Amino acid sequence: MSSRKIIKSKYFFEEDFVESLAEVPVEKTEAWASGAELKVVGKPTQRKDGYDKVSGSAQYTFDISLPKMAFAKTLRSPHPHARILNIDVSKAKKLPGVLEIITHQNTPKIPWYFGMSFLFDTTLRFEGDEVACVAAESEHIAEQALQLIRVEYEELPFTIEAGQAMSEAAPKIHDTNILRGRPDTYERGDIEKGFAEADVVLEETFTTQTAVHNTTEPHCSVVNWDGDRLTVWDSTQGIFSVRDGIADSLGIPASHVRVIKKYMGGGFGSKLAAGKYTVMAALLAKKIGRPVKIALDRKEMNLAVGNRPDSVQKLKIGAKKDGTLTAMVHESYGASGAYPSGAACSWPFRTIYQCPNLNTIDYSVYINAGPGRPMRAPGHVQGTFGMDSIIDDMAEKIGMDPLEFRLKNYAEIDQVGNAPYTSKRLHECYQQGAAAIGWYQKRRPAGSSPGKIKKGIGMASQIWWGGGGPPAYATLKLNRDGSATVIAGTQDLGTGTYTFIAQVAAEVLEIPLDNINVILGDTGVAPYGPSSGGSTTAPSISPAVRDAAEQMKTKLISGAAAILEVPERELSYRNAVISAITDSEKKLGISDVVRQMRERVLVTTGLRNANPEGYTINSFGAQFAEVEVDIDTGKIRLLKVVAAHDVGRILNPLTSDNQFHGGIIQGIGFALMEERIMDPMTGKTLTTNLHNYKVPTVMDTPTEIEVIIVSDSDPLISNTGVKGIGEPAHIPTAAAIANAVYNAIGVRMKSLPMTPDKILHALFG
Amino acid sequence: MKNFTYFQPENLKDAAKQLGNNWKDRLLIAGGTDLLGLMKHNLERPDVLINLKSIAGLEKIEYLPGKELRIGALTKITDIAEHPVIREKFTALAEAAGQVASPQLRNMGTIGGNICQRPRCWYYRGDFNCLRKGGDICFAVEGRNKFHCIIGGAPCFIVHPSDLAVALQALEAKLIIFSGKKSKSVAIKDFFVLPDADVYRENILKPNEIITEIHIPEPASGCQSGYLKFQEREVWDFATVSVGVSIKKNANFIETGLVVFGGVAPRPWIEQKISQALTGTILKENTISELTDICLQDAEPLEENKYKVVLAKNLLKNLLMRLNNI
Repeated sequence: MSSRKIIKSKYFFEEDFVESLAEVPVEKTEAWASGAELKVVGKPTQRKDGYDKVSGSAQYTFDISLPKMAFAKTLRSPHPHARILNIDVSKAKKLPGVLEIITHQNTPKIPWYFGMSFLFDTTLRFEGDEVACVAAESEHIAEQALQLIRVEYEELPFTIEAGQAMSEAAPKIHDTNILRGRPDTYERGDIEKGFAEADVVLEETFTTQTAVHNTTEPHCSVVNWDGDRLTVWDSTQGIFSVRDGIADSLGIPASHVRVIKKYMGGGFGSKLAAGKYTVMAALLAKKIGRPVKIALDRKEMNLAVGNRPDSVQKLKIGAKKDGTLTAMVHESYGASGAYPSGAACSWPFRTIYQCPNLNTIDYSVYINAGPGRPMRAPGHVQGTFGMDSIIDDMAEKIGMDPLEFRLKNYAEIDQVGNAPYTSKRLHECYQQGAAAIGWYQKRRPAGSSPGKIKKGIGMASQIWWGGGGPPAYATLKLNRDGSATVIAGTQDLGTGTYTFIAQVAAEVLEIPLDNINVILGDTGVAPYGPSSGGSTTAPSISPAVRDAAEQMKTKLISGAAAILEVPERELSYRNAVISAITDSEKKLGISDVVRQMRERVLVTTGLRNANPEGYTINSFGAQFAEVEVDIDTGKIRLLKVVAAHDVGRILNPLTSDNQFHGGIIQGIGFALMEERIMDPMTGKTLTTNLHNYKVPTVMDTPTEIEVIIVSDSDPLISNTGVKGIGEPAHIPTAAAIANAVYNAIGVRMKSLPMTPDKILHALFG
Repeated sequence: MKNFTYFQPENLKDAAKQLGNNWKDRLLIAGGTDLLGLMKHNLERPDVLINLKSIAGLEKIEYLPGKELRIGALTKITDIAEHPVIREKFTALAEAAGQVASPQLRNMGTIGGNICQRPRCWYYRGDFNCLRKGGDICFAVEGRNKFHCIIGGAPCFIVHPSDLAVALQALEAKLIIFSGKKSKSVAIKDFFVLPDADVYRENILKPNEIITEIHIPEPASGCQSGYLKFQEREVWDFATVSVGVSIKKNANFIETGLVVFGGVAPRPWIEQKISQALTGTILKENTISELTDICLQDAEPLEENKYKVVLAKNLLKNLLMRLNNI
């Protein structure tokens, strides 16, 4: 079990496949079978961190306060495109309480954005680009100092719309405004032949807005130097990624940087890498010899730390009268912002429905706005909206029920990788979801709902990767009283990682959950764990935890065998007691074993196994929405959302439900109200607070959300059979709502968000 | 936010004495739900804040049956929303109060502060040197203007953000204003000003004046009032469009009526034509529809806010139907 090898590992993480060498166990621990009787895993389990959070004793990064801590604030470009001619900090430095100010003038040229810029660049490419950073005795003084810094800017022509930025005449943000100078393309089959075979051809353009993560906890760091070693508390989704980013930026060994994150108020993809703010704080802390806290405000969060790129999707599909899809074309462009970030959105279009002839072209375009970052299923949310809208239109055109149409074009294998799936139970998602929403009983023809309040039902499909993979480690320490500590280099974004890790260890070792302590989010003590993105945390870490626990169990049995003088194979392990099968008098509790082994602590380190070769791992799902549209006001209300998903084994139904609810509510926000709005004349963002950037409140949520998990395990993937749920929960919501709205009012909404003004305009002109 | 001196007067005279004769330096603070945001974003940079909460007697609700309702300017919005007499007799006001912002903000915000709050225009609140802040242009004209006004705009296209002001206008309230020595009474319709009269202020208050009370006359028998608010988000949002109505019924006829819109103009917007046309109207669905068709005929929407005309008509229709149990 403990023999290991190094393999080439490849799996999808947020925006692309990542490849790396990974240490894996030679033999995979046998997976828990589908339907296996487990005692802790899969059972509703209260969060281990629940008490700390509801009692207010949980310390988030934002709450960290160190003796003599100073506070930093950032001066940001007020212009969408400008050159710094001069910076004068002399007045600001004289303000009492100001400790230090850094700009491009007094800091090294630290490369940023894949070497396309610097920590402090003299060319500013978006409103919110960093100009200077001040450390002061208080945040208030730092803010006042910002207003005293005199900057002379040369304003440059700007472009804030991707379509315009692609034109020859547009101001250039880099050598070319198109990322890598060319689109991402994919094709299979013969597209012309496909359309020639079609009885019906549809062509539509769909658009989606730029959305901003707007996490509850702002991006923030507290940094402290101890000699030449740096400790960083950071609100992050990737402690190792932040560690390496900071070490590289500062030119110090990774061993000298310790990144800690215990509790966190959300990331959604916006906190996957080291932030400029953290490096600026570290530079300031070094200069003033004091710890520094830096926390972004809501305006900075809406300008400078990521967004979901917008999209314009021109789709064309052809089908035969019997419902067979014969050809599909996707052409899109979207705004990456001022630095590289993928805006492609054709992944679901390529794979989810069976179609032999298919082309996709995606342009990612630079504009003078904050750079995009992965946001809860990059490309998939916007792509699914366009794709499942035109699929619904086609179903109607050929007179088929939308669900039947999807089943007719069900893809049995991965058409891009040309490989079978480890599991695909999407048809069960369709069936069970349809039953739960009352698809066949309640759904009427589009626009036939009587009265002013029109009801409608719609659905959409979901595909995502989320199988995770190696490398991922977990260390398990067993103490002589039989209590255990699990240490892993992953982090809990609030999704329940602490809890499921304890559950997996408790399942194997059969010890109480309360006797297990889980330590996450500390590069100083933990073996490597991957960043938490791409719905990969549970699928990557849970098998490593199980592996560590199984190794521990083996070790304990081995120890007991020596003490009892009974061969290992004649011992049984039950409820943390090891006893001889043939002689029930001969038994030992695990704490007795540890004591007699004269070690105060037993240690094992578990590994994530390699993914199976020759298979594609995807999660699947279908969401169904029932809506009410008030045609007097254009207001859309959600009555019910059903989420039916194939996501392998659920480790904890309580936190799984939480994630589905969160993903669906965020999907409602994207469908109905969230939108970054920019002023065309000045290139500045107007939605820089939570009044103008509207995130749904609890009053905007549906009366009912029903989560159905059709899968019980995917044993081919790993010893726990888990697929991720973070992104699947969110992907199809907006598309399902859009189809429900069409069903209610009989008018197709082709642009998100579906705000009341758009609905009224569509209905009354 | 700039540092400031916090002054706690014991009475109105002390407060008025502290107030100077210009707008910038000395400001009153009550609930602070608007002012603190303005200060944090450097839209207001006062040297002195004068706390009205330290003055006794400004937070009260007095009902004088047959005469009027008197509400102290520092009365919390929550208390207005929940007051049984206001709910029964001054329904439009209670309904408006119940839909202001969120419960937390209603618990802090006061009625006086609510009607004096500054516009929520994203150019005014943002990093733009717009007309209202002393600049040369209204950015909304050529910019993003989905939430801006459709009538009464030029040269600045804000909407007045207050829910309570619309209801108080429908109920023909009076404001009692103290200016150092004496108090005066001002009809609320004369309180608000349009940008063509004063582009920097939304009302007639002078720098040294303080609203102390709001008086609402007892509604005649047969009177009913109501308020409907439409907001994009279910709570914690400002009105996209709202409407306050009071009508006096006589059997199946409307004897008199007053219709006031919020979210369409830089002040609570009295629809004179409709108010006149209401007189003598028989209360049926089709007559109400005909009636609402004539409202906001003078509206001149901007590029992105034509929908507000439709929305305003529909809200008015729904409110009239509700008031007449249709």
